[in-house]
Amino acid sequence: MTTNETTDNTTSNTTDTTSYVPEHTPRLAWAKLAPDVYKAMIRLDTAARQGVDPVLLELVKIRASQINHCAFCVDMHSKDALAAGESVERIIQLSAWEESQHFYTAKEVAALALTEAVTVLTDGFVPDEVYDVAAKQFDEAELAQLIAAITVINAWNRFGVTCRMVAGHYQAGEHR
Amino acid sequence: MTARTQVLDPEVGKAMSALSAAAKKGLGDSGLAELVQIRASQLNHCAFCLDMHLELARKHGVSEKQLDLLYAWEEAEDLYSERERAALALTEAVTVLTEGFVPDDVYERAARHFDDARLAHLIGLITVINGWNRLMVSRRIPPGGRAW
Repeated sequence: MTTNETTDNTTSNTTDTTSYVPEHTPRLAWAKLAPDVYKAMIRLDTAARQGVDPVLLELVKIRASQINHCAFCVDMHSKDALAAGESVERIIQLSAWEESQHFYTAKEVAALALTEAVTVLTDGFVPDEVYDVAAKQFDEAELAQLIAAITVINAWNRFGVTCRMVAGHYQAGEHR
Repeated sequence: MTARTQVLDPEVGKAMSALSAAAKKGLGDSGLAELVQIRASQLNHCAFCLDMHLELARKHGVSEKQLDLLYAWEEAEDLYSERERAALALTEAVTVLTEGFVPDDVYERAARHFDDARLAHLIGLITVINGWNRLMVSRRIPPGGRAW
């Protein structure tokens, strides 16, 4: 959450970033200003990841962050997924997963569909068919944790986007 | 209507409650907190949350008129203070992330009415009600139902 004036991008393989648009500054250092809220978020995140397959969890986190346009979260979770051994291909295909289901297990596809439905609540509800497919792939307790995990990444996305947290500086594993 | 499932890990529920409590305390305005939570719940179509927060709003002395017209607050300016309207505009922007970002004018308007710490807690409150909305709508918890 610090402001970096330079365009130095230590994680990029691109040799010359000097012609890039300058980095924006974050709007608000929310975690410092509301440490009690931040602490509760960490507690919630820890609780919600219990029992969720870590490979699936990163896919869910990346997809929700794409839908919510959270640059900081996309950066973080793509890096964490890569560091955990996820394939570049599966990460790239996430934005088109409905047309590239053969990159994912049936369980992952069900979870991604649920992620979309739970993330885009303002357009409607969570359709029965989406819920039912997920309920066939996950037992009741697993499904409840998955819903909680989707909820939590949606929450991080809201902080990230609203406070305009800057993407690019995260190092894999930093927030684990 | 029956719930799809009432299962929710108790630690998730407790952590959510702690998050709500921290955000509300830091905002320090219980009437406004209810208006924000009702508006987000309207946008997310959360019947359980609407039922609960409408009741809480009445308890905290929010007027019936403010509650009745909350759905159209932008067209009922006189009923809400500048500060309330700034918070409601921010609530809408932070709730409907899928259609864009949080516009500068909306953010700056809120920043004029809330100091940094209060603003951080207001964002926290909008975020946590969005969280509750997701937990309740996904599991289809009926109004007044048992949430876990």
